[in-house]
Amino acid sequence: MIIHQQIHFLRNAMTFIALMVATLFLSACGGESTEALPNTSSNSSSVSYKGPSPASDDVQNFKLAVWDNLVQEDKCGSCHGTGGQSPTFVDSQNINTAYAQANTIVNLSDPSQSAMVTKVAGGHNCWATSDSVCVDILTTYIANWAGGSSNSAKTIELRAPAEKDPGNTITLPADPAGFSTTVYPVLMDYCSDCHGDSGQTPYIASSTLSTAYEQSKSRISLTTPSNSRLVTRLEFDAHNCWTADCGSDAAYMETKILELAALQSPRPVDPDLVTSKALVLAGDNGDGLLANSGGRFEDNIIALYEFKAGEGQTAFDTSGVSPALNLTLSGNVDWVGGWGIDMRPAVQTEQGAMVPAGKAQGSTTDSRKLHTLLTGSGEYAIEAWVAPGNISQEDARIVTYSGSATTRNMTLSQSLQRYEVLHRSTTSDENMPFATQDGDKLLQATLQHVVVNYSPGAGRQIFVNGQYSGDMDPDNAGLLSEWDDSFAFVLGNETDGNSPWQGAIRMVAIHNRALTPEQIQANFDVGVGQKFFLLFGVSDLINVPESYIVFEVSQFDSFSYRFTSPFFISLDESAEPSNIRIQGMRLGINGKEATVGQAWANLDVVLDSATYEPGTGQSLSRLGTIIALENGPEYDEFFLTFDLFGSSTYSRSEPPLIDSGTPADLPPSSDIGLKTFDEINESMARMTGVAKTRPAVLNTFSTVKQQLPTIENIGGFLSSHQMAVTQMAIQYCDALIKDGQARAAFFPGFDFTASAGTAFDHSGKSLITGPLLARFVGENLSTQPAALDIQTELGSLIDKLTPCSGEDCNGRTETIVKASCAAVLGSATTLVQ
Amino acid sequence: MKAPVRMRHSAFKACSMSLLILMTVAYASAAGAGPREQAKRIHDRIAGVPPAAAILDSMAQDISAGNPLDAAFTAMDDPAFYDATLKNFAAPWTNEAMTPFVPLNDYTATVIGMVRDGEDFRKILHDDVLYIGDPGLGLTPYSTSNNAHYVELEDSGEPLKDSLRKVPQSTYNGLPSSATAGVITSRAAARAFFSAGTNRAMFRFTLINHMCSDLEQVADTSLPPDRIRQDVSRSPGGDSRVFLNNCVGCHTGMDPMTQAFAYYDFEYNPDSDPDGALGRLVYNTVNDPETQSRVQGKYLINSSTFEPGYVTPDDQWDNYWRQGVNRRLGWDGSLPGSGSGAKSLGKEWAYSDAFAECQVKKVFRNVCLRPPSNSADYAKVDTMVSNFRSQDFNLKQVFAESAVYCAGE
Repeated sequence: MIIHQQIHFLRNAMTFIALMVATLFLSACGGESTEALPNTSSNSSSVSYKGPSPASDDVQNFKLAVWDNLVQEDKCGSCHGTGGQSPTFVDSQNINTAYAQANTIVNLSDPSQSAMVTKVAGGHNCWATSDSVCVDILTTYIANWAGGSSNSAKTIELRAPAEKDPGNTITLPADPAGFSTTVYPVLMDYCSDCHGDSGQTPYIASSTLSTAYEQSKSRISLTTPSNSRLVTRLEFDAHNCWTADCGSDAAYMETKILELAALQSPRPVDPDLVTSKALVLAGDNGDGLLANSGGRFEDNIIALYEFKAGEGQTAFDTSGVSPALNLTLSGNVDWVGGWGIDMRPAVQTEQGAMVPAGKAQGSTTDSRKLHTLLTGSGEYAIEAWVAPGNISQEDARIVTYSGSATTRNMTLSQSLQRYEVLHRSTTSDENMPFATQDGDKLLQATLQHVVVNYSPGAGRQIFVNGQYSGDMDPDNAGLLSEWDDSFAFVLGNETDGNSPWQGAIRMVAIHNRALTPEQIQANFDVGVGQKFFLLFGVSDLINVPESYIVFEVSQFDSFSYRFTSPFFISLDESAEPSNIRIQGMRLGINGKEATVGQAWANLDVVLDSATYEPGTGQSLSRLGTIIALENGPEYDEFFLTFDLFGSSTYSRSEPPLIDSGTPADLPPSSDIGLKTFDEINESMARMTGVAKTRPAVLNTFSTVKQQLPTIENIGGFLSSHQMAVTQMAIQYCDALIKDGQARAAFFPGFDFTASAGTAFDHSGKSLITGPLLARFVGENLSTQPAALDIQTELGSLIDKLTPCSGEDCNGRTETIVKASCAAVLGSATTLVQ
Repeated sequence: MKAPVRMRHSAFKACSMSLLILMTVAYASAAGAGPREQAKRIHDRIAGVPPAAAILDSMAQDISAGNPLDAAFTAMDDPAFYDATLKNFAAPWTNEAMTPFVPLNDYTATVIGMVRDGEDFRKILHDDVLYIGDPGLGLTPYSTSNNAHYVELEDSGEPLKDSLRKVPQSTYNGLPSSATAGVITSRAAARAFFSAGTNRAMFRFTLINHMCSDLEQVADTSLPPDRIRQDVSRSPGGDSRVFLNNCVGCHTGMDPMTQAFAYYDFEYNPDSDPDGALGRLVYNTVNDPETQSRVQGKYLINSSTFEPGYVTPDDQWDNYWRQGVNRRLGWDGSLPGSGSGAKSLGKEWAYSDAFAECQVKKVFRNVCLRPPSNSADYAKVDTMVSNFRSQDFNLKQVFAESAVYCAGE
């Protein structure tokens, strides 16, 4: 995750040791067992060919595509050159001899299956630090020799996997207890310097047991401990063995894994289930057939990142175009299962150190390749598979070739739900973004294929998931001639580290030509990551030989597998199914059905010759699903179950509902509550006899409506509520008292024309308080305040308001009645229910 | 200037006085409740307004005579029960913010009308029914593209108790009768829950408002995800655990049921009328040029998010919750659990135990001013649910029983 100074030091020290080892063993060049790496200096010595002319066009093609790229001493030339070890496919003195030799180790119809490729894949002297990088580059070279374009889709030949029954696997338990006493102490003892907290991923020696266990799970094979990554890294890669004897270190690790395995017991599959045969996706015991059928348009790729390494601090450029523009990972970045890197924000470690946001950056020297090749062509395409971590980040750089936050050649970044492109041309301001529309919300926080095209004719164009966004570049056609060759190529951040992007990057390719819409669609359709076909054997369930249910399967991300498009096929082309019904198909993993993601549980199809096509089979469904990853693609064992397959049935019953029991008592709540806004309005209208539609009260109600109580909870009563209630009460009382007829009917016998000094004498007060009590409070209700109390309070209010002098006495009587009316109307006698 | 000043002084004095009396009454209310007090509370709780003296006397007599339900039904004769209580009971169901501060609309009016008429309340989710204002009032006629009719009705102050008329919804909103589904196909619900988006809002809010469950409470990750549409990311933010642990739990059940609304949309101009005040409910009776089927385009949006996801071909819905933990919602065994369109889905919900319990709990809360809180309350709710059934799902019965139960002792 982070490179500390200490780690730098460690790595430098290790490089030094590796160099010494390399020197010691250099004389033993050749032979698979030799682990010394060839010189990895980037300054390849060029070889100038002076031998006989190529005997044919194909030899010439071979020379251009393969020989020229591999003849150097730092690639294959030092061992497989003239007079070297057989095959001498990079004979530097006779291209025709080299051609003949090369033909013995290539498969031009399926370059990835060439012996030259598989040999290197098996650990044979890759010139880079990751075998997969050499594999990819060699495959590209051979493919270029074979026919140039790699964009032709090839047919995958289905082959029968080894037969095995499901459920004899043992799996790692959820509880790390067994791990903590077996493997974990070894990791803590010997791996914690580099793979402890704040070190490099994987954190298999984290001081937090659960973290170490989670990170180790996919590197431990309980079924075949010797295949565990923890063992093979020691045994075959001599990866930081702690003694001089890597073999014994590996054996020790294997013993500890065996001890862990011994603590587990196999989980047998329910014998009543109707199951297929079992399969493992990848790895040495993998049954998956590689399903990447090509079809991508890659003719003009000049830099390519597929993140196949899966570990380490380098994202390799596997375009095969020299120099390799490898990127160094730094800060908070981690690898994603199924190929990719996950860019994360800056975090503070438990020890208080700050880990900056993730970033993958190439050197300015290597980045110059982009300058050279893109200014040469004058156009480009940035192609990426990305999964933005959120839709709230702004100015977050996904791919950039820049010098600083404000100087760049080209940049793809995210702002909210927009993809933005900034680039420098003779007609475009390098800091003026060209973006997709906000309203289109094209950027979503999910895996997306995004392509930025630039050509002088069409300007910048953005394609998301194969579709043109429709946005037109406002700038005129321009040239890239002003590009700066001192900039660096960076993923997931700006060169200054201040514009981090969060999310996963699964693939990035830079093309030195704009892609056509058809090419973009084709590349989108191919998808991203490694795909396999899994052939689940079902021959023993039905009377059709060599019959399989086939899924296209890939690791979806670090946490799940993606299964899609199941079809039925018999590899015996003379066989056909006849009226075989399949119902309720489910995916099993490690001995049990997956709990989540059973997209074919409702499947109901009939296999029949009418719908079955020999050679291609019969589709069962176009749907796909994801299911949770448990121990990793090299260890998880899959199988299928069926409710009905031909004559085999499994009767599925639902578990009884668990009685949730009587709910617990809630805290006691108040027995009384408040009236809410409309109820207060209706109550006041009803009590005063003033219509709620009267403009004066309607206006007041409209104004204070939302200030009145909206919920009945008496505990939520606020002073603002009371103010609104008071305004309403005053308005209603005002309307009542201003209406001569209404007030006469409400307060019979009261003389509103009398002065305040006399109006309330003797029975005057009771002419007011009596009707108010009767109409507003109600009679003989013990839940209301005692009539006498209210009368006393009102009497005292009237007495207080009565004294006046001069102009103040005008209309004083009405005012006092209004105040008395409002005091009762706006009180709890109305408000509480 | 002097008069207003004086008026304000008086107002403040009155205000302080009110507070004083409020405090007094707060203590006074702790006293025991006889028939008159019970009658007063029943009326307050049901109608939201105090009873006239004669009504109070009559209700108290009913209570004394051992007929408290009669007293409650008397309270329901008060117009305020319709104009205030029921209106605010239903108004929050008609918008996503769940606020009662919305004008009267066809959804609320239909709820009010159906309660008034003692209709089988289950029809609220599936019948060809609508309540409009009395034509004699001279209001702007009902429109599919605005709410003026109901605003005018509310502003007129005419009691809804007398001014609502029951009509077939299909003759007013243009839907085929078979495509009507009570308030689900009301204009107000369409504006709130069919506008933009993916129509899942209609599912969620009907679930909240009429089944009393939000999605988290009914999440079930174990059901098949085969009907989850293509627009749902299987790796939100690049992390599929979020989908497998959370998203899938709701979408497994929601998506196959929301398919019932596949032919509905709410059309409005988002630029000139962002709130859809002038929008209208639309329903595809023939193929949509956008989708080449009757399905609305919104059902097929973001199809590249997860390409092997479900592609909606029609409005066939299936209730996956008849399996798994959501069996506890008590689905009606006499119904098939699947169908086409909103009407049959509305019926599926309305005929569940959860629907009946939800209506009872909502009324209990509305009348008792608290949720059912203890074993006595829970038992009363059970009794009310069974009485609600035996009284042909007349919601007035539930109001009456709740009010009597919470009338105080």
